[in-house]
Amino acid sequence: MKRPINKNRGIALACAALLSMSYLLAQTPAPPATAPTTAKTGTIGLYRNQLLAPDGPAPKFADGTPDLSGAWLGSGGSDADISNPKSLKLGDTVSMLPWAEEIVKHRQSKEDPEANCLPAGIPRGSPYPWRIVQTPTHYFILYEGNIHSYRQIFMNGKHPDDPDPTWYGHSIGHWEGNTLVVDTVGFNDKFWFDYKGHPHTEKLHTIERYTRTDLGHLSIEVTIDDPGAYTKPFTTVGKAVLMPGTELLEYICQENNQDLPLLTGPARGPGAQ
Amino acid sequence: MRFFLSVAVASVIWLATGSPALAHHSGAAEFDSTKKIDLTGVVTKVEWTNPHAHFYMDVKDPSGNVANWNLELASPNVLIRNGWKRNSVKPGDTVSVTGSRAKDSPYYGSASMITFPDGHKLSFLGADDPSK
Repeated sequence: MKRPINKNRGIALACAALLSMSYLLAQTPAPPATAPTTAKTGTIGLYRNQLLAPDGPAPKFADGTPDLSGAWLGSGGSDADISNPKSLKLGDTVSMLPWAEEIVKHRQSKEDPEANCLPAGIPRGSPYPWRIVQTPTHYFILYEGNIHSYRQIFMNGKHPDDPDPTWYGHSIGHWEGNTLVVDTVGFNDKFWFDYKGHPHTEKLHTIERYTRTDLGHLSIEVTIDDPGAYTKPFTTVGKAVLMPGTELLEYICQENNQDLPLLTGPARGPGAQ
Repeated sequence: MRFFLSVAVASVIWLATGSPALAHHSGAAEFDSTKKIDLTGVVTKVEWTNPHAHFYMDVKDPSGNVANWNLELASPNVLIRNGWKRNSVKPGDTVSVTGSRAKDSPYYGSASMITFPDGHKLSFLGADDPSK
């Protein structure tokens, strides 16, 4: 038998529906002031003949929240070598504790979690795009690469007192002006920051700052604080470019990883000799 | 012109690094850029898979012995965005392949360029002809 909806419950449901609708309306992007003129194409990363974003300001939702949605290509630092000064905040250096220096000297290419189709963690990028999805309570980062996984960011949330260590940790987010700030703790110690093998421990704490500087560009800064492996925090800088003409494609790295047994020698950059 | 310049830049990067851009592992850890391959044969199988697409090719040496080579390409997501289709190379095709040989396996290589009898080419990353 169908259960009748009592009056109070009906009112509550109607209010919830109205609230949801108003949120969705608020999150609807405002239409562009002028329609884009002739679409430009060019190379983005490895991809040729790609639709390029037209010039224009960073969009916002109707409620004023910056709109970061879209497929992006890029990352918050150098995936070849996180200590590369070109990808560090001006004046910052990466200073490892002795055990960390030693482990970098001995790591082998085939030990890299990335080569084993395991997560690349934060902020290590890949040559594949990723997408940000914003909802009222959660933001999601959907990765095409980085083992085709996802991260969830709890907006205005709190970290648990004793989070279980995980590959992507526990992330909470908030807005500082037009910058999305993502604070993450609770990492395991397994992923490598880069192809070179820079390590971290479970004490790792990252703060990511995402700022859409215009329609087609995202600035990314990541502060890395891990007193278990580094003598001081450092901040990496990177950027991402919008790929308006692409959708994420499947990338199931585990299905035919024939490379692993053939990898030889020390950990090194993707194209390094 | 911009397109051709970008292709030229990609080619220069290729030459400078000696290894194709690979997403999930070091190219130099797997392939020896000083061991070039230049093979002609008949494609026997295609694997449209991740983290790399592969095709296999029967290659006859001067003595008439046939070896089945395993040749690696970028991943399908990269190839598709650069104009490849899953059947751009298919069993039965006769092709010539240049590239680099694996350090640790005699009949395993990275295919930097595939040339068909009618002259059209496919590269490790894309369906455009980087030699233009």
